[in-house]
Amino acid sequence: MINTFERRTALAHLVEAEGVARVNPPMLLEAGQYFELAGEEFGRSLLMSLANDGIEYCLRPEFTVPIVAQYVAQGLAGSPVAYGYMGPVFRQGTEGPVEYVQAGVELLGQLDPEQALDEVLTFARRALGAYRITTPKVRLGGVELFEAVLAHAEMPDVWRPRIRARFGHPEAMTRLLDRLAESYADKPEAAAEPIDKAELTEYVADRMIAAGFNPAEGRHPEEVAERYYEKQALAAAHVPLPTIDLLRLYLSIEGRASTALDEIEALASVYKFDLSAPLVALRHHNATLKALAPQSTVTFDASFSPRLEYYTGIVFEMLGQSGAVLATGGQYDRLLQRLGATVPVTAAGCAVWVERLEQEMQS
Amino acid sequence: MSNGLTLAIPSKGRLEEQSREIFAAAGLVIERASNSRSYFGTAARLPDLSIRFMPAGDIARELIRGGIDLGVTGQDLIEESSEDSEVSVLTVRSLGFGQADVVIAVPDPWIDVTQIVDLADVAADFRSRHGRWLRVATKYIDLTRRHFAQHGIIEYRVVESNGATEAAPATGSADFIVDITSSGSTLTANGLRVLEDGVIMKSEAKLFVSRTAEWTPMRKAQLEALMSVLNWVPPGITTRL
Repeated sequence: MINTFERRTALAHLVEAEGVARVNPPMLLEAGQYFELAGEEFGRSLLMSLANDGIEYCLRPEFTVPIVAQYVAQGLAGSPVAYGYMGPVFRQGTEGPVEYVQAGVELLGQLDPEQALDEVLTFARRALGAYRITTPKVRLGGVELFEAVLAHAEMPDVWRPRIRARFGHPEAMTRLLDRLAESYADKPEAAAEPIDKAELTEYVADRMIAAGFNPAEGRHPEEVAERYYEKQALAAAHVPLPTIDLLRLYLSIEGRASTALDEIEALASVYKFDLSAPLVALRHHNATLKALAPQSTVTFDASFSPRLEYYTGIVFEMLGQSGAVLATGGQYDRLLQRLGATVPVTAAGCAVWVERLEQEMQS
Repeated sequence: MSNGLTLAIPSKGRLEEQSREIFAAAGLVIERASNSRSYFGTAARLPDLSIRFMPAGDIARELIRGGIDLGVTGQDLIEESSEDSEVSVLTVRSLGFGQADVVIAVPDPWIDVTQIVDLADVAADFRSRHGRWLRVATKYIDLTRRHFAQHGIIEYRVVESNGATEAAPATGSADFIVDITSSGSTLTANGLRVLEDGVIMKSEAKLFVSRTAEWTPMRKAQLEALMSVLNWVPPGITTRL
């Protein structure tokens, strides 16, 4: 039997460590910001409540967004601050609503973003240590690394953002790459009769009016016509098969971090890609993790990323022997500007799932 | 309330008529108490059976919750009410009516959008162009979310719509819709077009048994008795509950 209270107190000390400001954002939050950031997919997991004035609220599903929003609203964007938190979060589970306890840290505006990530990893390691979990499996993912590979890979520019948008979504990525490979195999179609763009726009506008749509609402006729052209251009702009093979190969790399990173480095030298900056950062954090938990296995999975596009540098999760995800985190610089910061701000943080730590310790 | 089984039948329209017809053809004549506005019915052959007339959506929800024992409703409504419907309901059989598809339909003038991948593309940069998310009107909120998640469409919002969904794009309350259609003529009349790969599911009316209802040996025996009157499935359905 573990003493839950004692462990949670130890964890609370960690989120109130020296130099860390413990914060407690409201439990009742406007749901809109979550839908704005993460869309309907995350929205499904919110516990919603509708106010009389029609505004949708949700019970706090996590801490990062309200903490970062508050930091930006206070005009602190850019100043180095470390926040800690611990408290309940609420999600819609498959079998009804669930309340969990999360604890974590958010390091914002730090001058040395790599050191900030080291501190986050140290926090996660200590949080697990408070539950005597000393040999977690650590999984690293490289968002910046993938973006660098994509920037170097030879392809028409129009495809880069479309491929990036599927990163972290293996099925959608596979589907897209398969489609690109197929379209490459197709013989190029004979160019369709070129239509004048103004004419096409007018044609779309006429059809909108005839069908009872307001051309000034939603998608405008120019937008439809433009994308129609763009689509034809996309169909003509083939991603070379060697690039598709390279991306497939890259995304399949997974294994012990040092080996996987060596493989990627070898790949980079064959293709003459400069991936040194993201690789150096990954090796550095791999070394940090080794120092923090010499017994634990650190793997790198090239296709691993949260679905959210605001993650930027390196992401990680720590798993227990049962395979349960105990801690997740990483660098998420883009979130700050998504929440209104007018200057670039570095950000790194992580959350641990307290009930899972307790369960892991007992088993 | 007696301890007998409760069977729910859709309370209005063609679904009600067709449900009563097919039960009558199987030998179970259902009378709607006193007049057609009553929500209770009886079947002379099985006096212990309570029959309730309810909206099809409520029937789906109550089947999943275990508030009723059996019911006729659409597969679409069951799927919408429960992500893992097999756990909570058992399909007795398809009834051969109410066939319709849940589809994704966009304004026909969107000549650049013919498949779901196009929609994913439009969704991805809609917000930077218009300062709001692309909106889909539907009553199938969960089905839509699940299907779009599978296809990697993330950047959109659902607008809940209960009735006249097909008008939402024209009135400007949404950009496109997910709705149920049998012939597609309502969609066409509203200037909408189903995407080439836009069928999310094929639905039809079915008789379902709730797995979450309270199945005592006595009630199981009553269910077997009802099934033997209908003679639609071989005996032994209660072993699958």
